[in-house]
Amino acid sequence: MGKIKENPFVKKVGFNRIVLFFVLLLLYGFFCVMTGGNFLGVGRILSALNYAYFLGFLSLGVTFVIATGGIDFSIGPVMFCCALISGYSLVSHGISMPVAIIISILVGFAFGLFNGYLVAYWTVPSFITSMASMNIAKGLASVFTKTQSVNWPQASAEGGWYRMIIKVGDIPVGLFIFLAVAVICAIILNKTKIGRYILCLGSNKEAVRLSGVDVKKWEMLAYIICGTLVGIGALFYVAAYTTVQPGYGDQYNNEAIAGCVMGGTSMAGGLASISGTVMGVFVIALLQEGILALGLDKNYQLIVTGIIVIVAVFGDVLSRRRKN
Amino acid sequence: MGEVILTMKDIDKSFPGVHALDHVDLEIRKGEVLALMGENGAGKSTLMKVLTGIYTKDSGTITYEGKEVEFHNTKEAQDAGIVIVHQELNMLGHLTVAQNIFIGREFKKGIRIDDAKMNEEAAKLFKRMNIDIDPKETMSHLTVGRQQMCEIAKAISHEAKVIIFDEPSAALTETEIEELFKIINDLRSKGIGIVYISHRMDEIKKITDRVTVMRDGTYVGTLITKDSTKDDIINMMVGRVIYEDPKTHSTVPKDAPVVLKVDHLNAGKMVQDVSFELRKGEILGFSGLMGAGRTETARALFGADPVESGDIYINGKKVVIKSPQDAVKYGIGYLSEDRKRYGCVVQKSVAENTTLATLDSYTKGIFIDKKKEKEVAEKYVESLATKTPTVDQLVVNLSGGNQQKVVIAKWLTRDCDILIFDEPTRGIDVGAKNEIYKLMNQLAKEGKAIIMISSEMTEILRMSDRVAVMCEGKKTGELDISEATQENIMNLATREIE
Amino acid sequence: MANKKNNVGVRKVSTIDRLGGQKFIVLLIVIVLFAFFSIMSPNFRKYTTMVSILDYSYYITLMAIGVAFPLMTAGVDLSIGTGLVCYSLVGGWLIAFQGWPTWAGMLVSVLFGIVIGILNGCLVAIMDLPPFLATLCTCMITRGLGSIIVGGFGISWPAVSADGGWFRKIFRIQMESGKVLPIGFLWIVLIVVFMTFVLNHTKVGRYTLAIGSNKEATRLSGVNVRFYHIFAYVISGFFAGLAAISYSAIFATVQPGTGAGFELEAIGGAIIGGVSMTGGMGSITGTLAGVFVICLLKTGLPFIGLTANWQQIITGLILIFSVLVDILKRKKEEK
Repeated sequence: MGKIKENPFVKKVGFNRIVLFFVLLLLYGFFCVMTGGNFLGVGRILSALNYAYFLGFLSLGVTFVIATGGIDFSIGPVMFCCALISGYSLVSHGISMPVAIIISILVGFAFGLFNGYLVAYWTVPSFITSMASMNIAKGLASVFTKTQSVNWPQASAEGGWYRMIIKVGDIPVGLFIFLAVAVICAIILNKTKIGRYILCLGSNKEAVRLSGVDVKKWEMLAYIICGTLVGIGALFYVAAYTTVQPGYGDQYNNEAIAGCVMGGTSMAGGLASISGTVMGVFVIALLQEGILALGLDKNYQLIVTGIIVIVAVFGDVLSRRRKN
Repeated sequence: MGEVILTMKDIDKSFPGVHALDHVDLEIRKGEVLALMGENGAGKSTLMKVLTGIYTKDSGTITYEGKEVEFHNTKEAQDAGIVIVHQELNMLGHLTVAQNIFIGREFKKGIRIDDAKMNEEAAKLFKRMNIDIDPKETMSHLTVGRQQMCEIAKAISHEAKVIIFDEPSAALTETEIEELFKIINDLRSKGIGIVYISHRMDEIKKITDRVTVMRDGTYVGTLITKDSTKDDIINMMVGRVIYEDPKTHSTVPKDAPVVLKVDHLNAGKMVQDVSFELRKGEILGFSGLMGAGRTETARALFGADPVESGDIYINGKKVVIKSPQDAVKYGIGYLSEDRKRYGCVVQKSVAENTTLATLDSYTKGIFIDKKKEKEVAEKYVESLATKTPTVDQLVVNLSGGNQQKVVIAKWLTRDCDILIFDEPTRGIDVGAKNEIYKLMNQLAKEGKAIIMISSEMTEILRMSDRVAVMCEGKKTGELDISEATQENIMNLATREIE
Repeated sequence: MANKKNNVGVRKVSTIDRLGGQKFIVLLIVIVLFAFFSIMSPNFRKYTTMVSILDYSYYITLMAIGVAFPLMTAGVDLSIGTGLVCYSLVGGWLIAFQGWPTWAGMLVSVLFGIVIGILNGCLVAIMDLPPFLATLCTCMITRGLGSIIVGGFGISWPAVSADGGWFRKIFRIQMESGKVLPIGFLWIVLIVVFMTFVLNHTKVGRYTLAIGSNKEATRLSGVNVRFYHIFAYVISGFFAGLAAISYSAIFATVQPGTGAGFELEAIGGAIIGGVSMTGGMGSITGTLAGVFVICLLKTGLPFIGLTANWQQIITGLILIFSVLVDILKRKKEEK
């Protein structure tokens, strides 16, 4: 085991991601065999991808927050809030599609700003702020839409072009956009000042502060990035499923955080991997699709995901214990 | 003079790379207060930790009440009647005083905890100690001094026969110290053996019967307090060790400009009215004993902690420093005593740490120019002779000395003119120490102004051009290196404050 | 200073703190809210409204009392909401489809809660997982498990008139006059009294607070920290089981897949009521008051023409507000 980890290739790609990759392949193989080959083919994969897109944006976003050592589990409800407010404006107030898209992203941004400001400048525990903004997001969305569910336009309808962010014909455009955003996130996290400061302050905030860095600003920025990505994720959610109902969204928190943690981002902060998050999200999406294909309901997926996360985090705890 | 209750003989203890205790002897007698003295790092705390079972000794014997004993944890020692009152308090702030005193051994009535009885017992204890604390008061509502009294009450409640006070007076006010002494006198008259660790000479003279002095992990000797003078004790503490090439005169030119002037700086209890000047190319040593307020002064100056009052001038211009950002802007760099917590981000690479304070100079737009970053990191690895396989190595994998060099590099890339080295060689082995010294001298020669906080007398005498001495949050004196000796520094550092 | 003997060495403590701190403020908020709604709406003042406030409060109160314990150890339990639904589904399923007597179904609900509590406790205290992540996982697991066991359908516990429907009378008794007697509140009061006793006068409570205050110091005092740490989560699980029974008794059917979000009302109630997120501090009576803030908002807002959704927004704001007050107070103390 130790030897494998020392291998230069493994070191470069990351042990965790290689494991995840094999988990993905195995899962795919498993589902193919179990469904008697039904699982093969593009249809299932596209459907799994639909699930992966919006979840992926949430997961990418929360990766930044977890990297600072914080947590955000308002992301699910905030995503619904974005989709509902912009969708309701679109359907009932007759604003144009581009404006709706901008509103969705702005709502996400605003929630990120709210969370980040309270955490960074007022030292409110991120747990509490996200719990509060979760309530606020749910309430706001329900109040705004008068507790009605919102149907975004179908592809054929006027303004339905937004659904092309997921696929044009048979081309999964969404995958390209998602991967492109993931690459941008990876660049931000690994190649820019923003990412450098976020990772460093997640690892040792005081040392970074004593180096003369405005840690509050950068910490807040992580939450803003998260919120903005959630706003984008909302668009992918409606592009895939069109209907949004107020009062829901909680379950996506868990799955998004699970994807992120599975990918090797440490809950203690300072260590984050975008490629890991992307793969973690794919594992969850594949699980969800595969379990449906097996004729089982979503509940099995919840249990399996829960167990996988426990194992992943316990691994993280063990490796830290060994270092000490 | 009472009979001997506890003897430690030939106690030996090594940590990796450090021989912490070298065949140390200690004798505690009933009804007597024994002072344990020595410079920082002399081994006092280690010896007490061996006694109370926190560390296990490598060799030697502990005889307690005529029997040889060995404790494996504090609880065993407590049960036997040996209790330590720590400098940093182990208290549960949200619980009441009585609940703290009896935690882990509550009185019970069925399944119910008998708080009434605990309050009663605590009240009895306080009555015995003749102090007025309400057992029902929440611990965190008490002042630090009172909390200390509760710790002592807890010790007494263990039916202790030996009580160790580890610098108990550090956080106490004048009146609280009076109270403490009354309690100690009372304990002594009840036949309890007391070990009193302190740096304050006046207290030692006032309360103790004998003084045992340690130096560099060895036992130096024991004096009868009333028959000895302060100078006797100081001579034993500093010893007659010949230090490596001490500086004999300042190398700073007479006309060197003042780059930093601190005027009546106040920041909390540990920084009171501190003023000093620092000149270009000078190394100003800050000497003093643990808790003298040197680190606090540096942190306040650097903007890491809030300043209450006082002025700071840089190159003659008055500046306001409210945060480390401001300090860095004015060209001040701070190398913390606790590198792992405040100095570097150990889970990140050498290169990343090197540019932490200057990232803006290595960016193209928002992107980090990793090539340039690597180049500069490599440049400093070379010029500081940092031992690391590559600049991509995580700092956590480097030795203490090399970690320190990474932190130095961080400030050098920033081109700071004023550098504050807080315990620059703590936890660094001898070879690396010399390199750090060489580096500091070179930096001074290049015109940097350096403040060096150090608890090591050798270091102060070897490096400084001038020595400022602090004691209890105040600056008690300033000596040119030509007139500084171990004795007069120690005298200032243990000065009795009126 | 020297004359005032009792105050020597005691830091200044505000009058509000002397009166019980946040508990006192929250009680005021409850009274003000109650008065406000009563004045604004004549319908609010009716007996039936009071009963429905109470009906809604039982399960949140029970969860909140339970979760207060992990919170006081500086942890959290996010699994109580989905857990509640899971336990209720399983218990109800055994009664409705397996022919078990009602009491056995109730017992299973509570036992299931205890088992999940032990699991949470082990994950946190033995395996060192961050509490919120560990319980997030059990939250997902219980959510899935409940639906799977009962087959994904809504479950109805026996109606009050039906065989075995007696358990509903634990919480509300329909009188001949048609009025409902909210007997459940009596039990809540008794439980609050009992848990206050547990918190303040038994080892369990004492060590829960001690762990939250300073875990290491508690361990060094010779306390079996692990056991009591796990026990806090067991209490939380146990009360989630009780909450499941009260939920089943008040509502006609229990739907699988619901329950997410219940835990936040309970945790919110506890924190508004003065239980400290950083551990070591809290009270059961405060928790009760905190829950009533939420329940009053939930029931009261529609009476003044706002939808119940405003309750969520206002709850969120109150939550932040109450934590901010705490933070500002601590900052002041440090100075």
